[in-house]
Parts: sequence; structure tokens; C-alpha cells
Amino acid sequence: MYRLSLAVRYLLTRPVNLLGVGGILISVWALVVVVSLFSGFLRVLEEHVRSATSDVVVSDVPEWTEWNTLQAALADDPNVAAAAPRLLHYGMLIPPGRRPAPAPLPGKSALHGGDQPFLFVYGVDAALEATATDMQQWLDSPEIPEDLRAADTATPLAAISETPAVLIGLERMLREGLTVGDPLRLTTARMVRSEDGRSRPVKIEIDLRVGGAFRTEHGGFDGNNVFVDIGTLRAALSPDRPGSVQEVAVRVHDKQQLEETAQRLSRVVNRVTEQNGRAFGRVETWRERNEQFLANVSHQRGLMKIVLIVIMVVAAFLMLATLSMMVTEKTSDIGILTAMGGTPIGVTTVFLACGVVITVAGVSLGLVTGVLTAVYLEEIRQAMLWSTGVDLFPLDVYNLQRVPCRIEPAWLLQVTVMALLTGALASVIPALRAARHDPLVSLRGI
Amino acid sequence: MSTEKPPVLHAADVHKSYAIGNRRIEVLRGVNLTINAGETVALLGASGAGKSTLLHLLGLLDSPTRGEVQFSGEATSDRSAAYRAKLRNRHIGFVFQFYHLIPELTALQNVLLAQMMGVSVLGYWRARRRSHAAARQMLERVGLGERLHHRPSELSGGERQRCAIARALLANPSIVLADEPTGNLDSQTAAGVVELMFSIQRERDLAFLLVTHDESLAQRCDRIVRMKDGVVIEQEQVR
Ligand SMILES: Nc1ncnc2c1ncn2[C@@H]1O[C@H](COP(=O)(O)OP(=O)(O)OP(=O)(O)O)[C@@H](O)[C@H]1O
Ligand SMILES: [Mg+2]
Repeated sequence: MYRLSLAVRYLLTRPVNLLGVGGILISVWALVVVVSLFSGFLRVLEEHVRSATSDVVVSDVPEWTEWNTLQAALADDPNVAAAAPRLLHYGMLIPPGRRPAPAPLPGKSALHGGDQPFLFVYGVDAALEATATDMQQWLDSPEIPEDLRAADTATPLAAISETPAVLIGLERMLREGLTVGDPLRLTTARMVRSEDGRSRPVKIEIDLRVGGAFRTEHGGFDGNNVFVDIGTLRAALSPDRPGSVQEVAVRVHDKQQLEETAQRLSRVVNRVTEQNGRAFGRVETWRERNEQFLANVSHQRGLMKIVLIVIMVVAAFLMLATLSMMVTEKTSDIGILTAMGGTPIGVTTVFLACGVVITVAGVSLGLVTGVLTAVYLEEIRQAMLWSTGVDLFPLDVYNLQRVPCRIEPAWLLQVTVMALLTGALASVIPALRAARHDPLVSLRGI
Repeated sequence: MSTEKPPVLHAADVHKSYAIGNRRIEVLRGVNLTINAGETVALLGASGAGKSTLLHLLGLLDSPTRGEVQFSGEATSDRSAAYRAKLRNRHIGFVFQFYHLIPELTALQNVLLAQMMGVSVLGYWRARRRSHAAARQMLERVGLGERLHHRPSELSGGERQRCAIARALLANPSIVLADEPTGNLDSQTAAGVVELMFSIQRERDLAFLLVTHDESLAQRCDRIVRMKDGVVIEQEQVR
């Protein structure tokens, strides 16, 4: 106990040791704030992609598969609540007679890929789609202004004056100034095998009219995809196969059993699509489907952790330097304490206690300020915006209402343990030097 | 004083040598010395005779290369460092030429420190309250009643040495080992410090080993021991 009080007095008379406290504080603070921000961001992104993806997605269905057969097979699974067929194609969607806009410079919406005319076209059965995905919510989203909303969101793909309808992401509608009923032309191609056995692309043009806007939480989805009726695509791409399907969106009853259900469905799809002993089709949960996208962010979070841990190591070196200085300065005290009845180990622990006090002070201050900053990040952003006009975190780019933040107790614990260990390591080295010092040397001289 | 009193410290054929490179320097070559309870002994000798070395051995701060230091008739060389530290803490007080106070602590805290070293976390505050009054009294006794909360840097040399004396005496040791306690003080201040030491010694019937170069100071002790080249060459009983 005397060691602790002596250590505190040593530290209090040497403000230079605040450097060590400050270093640890900053590194702990940064680790808490940045990682909480990333974790929160990751969770929000997860919610966003979740909102735009069905529970389970069947993809890469081969062209010979009949929807009716597949539908029946899928419906046999006890956990399948609904399934909707999709055809997936791509093309250029511009008003007829207009030339496509120039290639966009990287900008705000470049992040979503939403400002180029080349996009993916989903052919869906609106009625089935609404049972298997959240399409109804996408169409009824309160963000959509009334004049951009589909005339009847229950039948959003109903033809408009005998022209098939197309549903477009809200952002794109607003940017391009489109309103319901505007004519658009989808220009695309399909490969056709000619008589000489070669495949050649054949140009296809489909005239469409804007049926209305949709809005998921996932900006990247809205910017890159449009919906048309599956019949329209079938007629243009595979007129000879009216039951063709490429993807199936599946809704399950019990979300807890997502993985197991996906595995079962995988066997079902393989069985249905089997040809010449080869199995086709891929079944993924919504998370697997978006894995690449989410892995990106969590990878960035990992990189940030490494960078910030380097700061912690620098802080530890700072602490090591100031403590070493102190030990050199205090060699005479080592002699005094020994003469008064201190053991070499006991005297060493005084210096160890100095390091521990610095570390504990730094860690606790860092944790408190870090958690407070993370919790009030949105308020801090607004204060910054209001006072200096600097926006720390452009929310609309990521489709967010407030700065995301998720404080994970496990991470706080990890940071604490990590900081305590580095701190301990940085104090052990000077303390060992103190232990090696012969107390008699300082007692003889001054 | 009588010599029938039990011995506090006894050096039996104590040798001490240091290795410098591949040479050995014999600093002590067979010292025999007994200090009895309540006895004052002056240790004289030329510089380099080995006085400080002997004092450190007697104070259990160091171990002899050969021979034995006994504390209250008990051999110490085979005891653990922790046990010897405890003996130092409870029974031996040190006063040094250069005071050796801890600069961060006030006079009162310096005096208290040795007492608090033996106390565990649990009894800390209770022990501190108890020792606090004793330390205050001790400082008043050495004439520093007004200087309790001064740091060593705010005290004069004489005051620092008085503070060091108070520190050595707080635990009520059976012996005080003083290495040229007045070596750094002017003669007038030194006289005051010497008076203080002898009066406390008489009050408490302490044993006292005083290393000094001052003949007149030595004459005030019960016994004078002279050293030369690492051996005791003469012991003279003064009274
Ligand atoms: N750690 C050590 N290593 C080598 N030699 C040492 C060591 N400590 C002391 N000595 C030597 O031992 C001898 C005796 O030293 P000591 O300090 O005991 O002398 P002293 O009698 O106290 O002298 P002074 O009156 O000057 O204080 C000296 O020659 C010194 O150089
Ligand atoms: Mg000496």
C-alpha cells in the first residue's frame, strides 16, 4: 500500500508522466469510438441489405428449369412460407430518342452506382414478389412523394396505356426528373444461335412506362436495379419457354432456422435442376448473399483496429520513456527504501505501481470519454455542423438518419485487457532496471 | 555503562571483498566487533578503511563474503532477504551523511514511511492514524514541530538531518547506525544534531554505532573502535 501512495506521489510531482496517461487515453478513446462507429455502421448496413434481400435466395437456376416444378418442390419444405420467381437481365434504360448521359464522374451517388444508365432489370411476378420479399413496403415507403408513387401499389406492374410498367429506385427517379407514366426504352441484347451453329447477339428494345418509385433501405440496390413484369422479360428473352426462371426469392416461417432451411433447399434445387448427373443452382441466406459487401466494411474495421493498436504501442513507448527517466532519477530512493526495510522486490513494485497507475488512469479515462463520445456522436456531429459547417459524417451518402454507433461490451473488455497488458509490459522494463540497481551504490554517495 | 548487557550486533571474523575486473579487493579482512544494548560506539578510521562497508554489513544491507553478522545472538547470513529486511525495518535505524530523505514526501511523510512499509493494505489506514501521532511527536522532539509539512528541499541541512534522525527512531529500534551524520554540517549545526542524538540515546537507552572522523565527538561515546585497512586495530573503553 505504501508503494501505491509513494508511486502516486512520484507521479504527481512529475507532470511529464501525463504524457503516458494521455497516450493511453487517446489510443483507448480512439479504439472505442472508431470501432463503435464501424460496428454501428456495419449493423446499419446489415439492416439495409436485409431490407432489400429475401430470407433465402436461389440463384443460377439453369434455363431448362420450369418454374412450376421448382415452385412445387420448394413449397414442400415445411419452413418455406412463400417463393417468387425472378428473371434477371441487364440493359440501358433511357427515354426513347435520347442519347445516354456521359459517363459519370465519381460523386456522391457513384458510391451506389446509381448515376449511370446501365442497370439490372428484375422480371418479377408482383403478386408473388410481395409475399416473398418486402416489396410492398418498398412501394409504400413514406419517403416516396405521392406523385411518384405507383397508382395502385398492390398491382404496381399493371400496364400503363398498354405499355408494360417499370419500377425505379426513388433516388434515380428524383435525379432524372422522372414521373409516373414517363416513357422509357430498355435497350439490351440476347444471344441467339443461328443456323451455322454460332451464337450472335440480337438487339432487343422494350418500350416501358414509369410505373412508380420503390425504396429499400439499401441505396446500392435501389440505384442499380429496376423491376418489370416477369412476363415482359420472358416474352423478349425466351419466348419459347414461358416458365423460365433464374432466381427465386424465398420467405421462411422460422428465421432462426435460416441456415438449415437453406441447406435443405439446396438439395431440393439440385434435385430439380439435375441434368446428366450434374447439379445446378445455388442457395444462399440473405447474409451469405451480401457477404462480400459486409465483409468489406468489417475488413475496414479490422484495418482501423490495427492502425489504432499501433497508436497504443506508441503510447506504451512514451510511458516507457518517462518511467525510465524516473527510475534513473530515483536511484537514491531505491537505497533509502532498502535501508528502511524494503526488499528488492518490494522496491521494484513501487516503480511497477507507477506504471500501473498511469495505465489504469489512461484506460479508465479513455473508456469513459470513448463511450461518451460514441454515445453522443450524433450530437457532436450536429454541434460541429452548426458551429463550423463541417460535416464529419455525410449521413445521406449512406442512407442514415443518425451517426451509427454500437458499443460492444466484448470489445471494451478486449481494449481494456490489451491496454492493461501493453501498459504492464511498458512498466515492467523500467521496474526491472530499478531492481537491478544496487541500493548500496546510492547510499554511499549522494 | 556496563558491558554485561546482551549484544545487539556482533560481527564474527567478517570479510568483505569486491571483484573489480579479475582483481579482488579485500575491503574487510576479518573484523570482530560486538555492540551491546544501550552502548554507544564510535568507529574511527582513515578514509577507505572500510567503515561504511562494515556499517552496511552490520545493518544487514549487505552480506559478508566470509564470517557472520549476528543480530541479538542470531545468525543472519542464512536468512532470506525478506527476513533481513524485516529486521532492518523493526530493529535497526540508519542515519546517513547525505540525509537520504525522499524529496517528494514532506518531513512527516518521510518519518512515517518506514512505519507504513510493514503494513498491508488491510490495516493501512488504521496503522497510519496510529503512527501519525507518534511521528508528529517524534518530529516535535527533534525540533521540527513547525516543519511537519515541509519538503526536504524546504529544510536546512541541520533540519534535514534531524528529520532523518526522527525517521530512524520512529520504529523504536534497538540500534541506530549513523554514518558520518554530521559530515555535511557546519560545526554549530553539527553540535546541535549531536546533542540531540545523545540525549535521545540516553532517553531510550539505544545502542549507537557512530562512524565519524571527529575525535572529540568520538570521546563522548562509551567505546572507540579504530579501523585501518579493513581490520580493527584498537578498541578503547572510554567509560
Ligand atoms: N562496490 C564496491 N566495489 C568495489 N570497491 C568498493 C565498493 N564499495 C567500496 N569499495 C572500496 O572499499 C573501500 C572501503 O570503502 P568504505 O566506503 O567502506 O570506506 P570508508 O571507511 O567508509 O571511507 P570514508 O571515510 O571515505 O567514507 C574503498 O577503497 C572503496 O573503494
Ligand atoms: Mg564511508
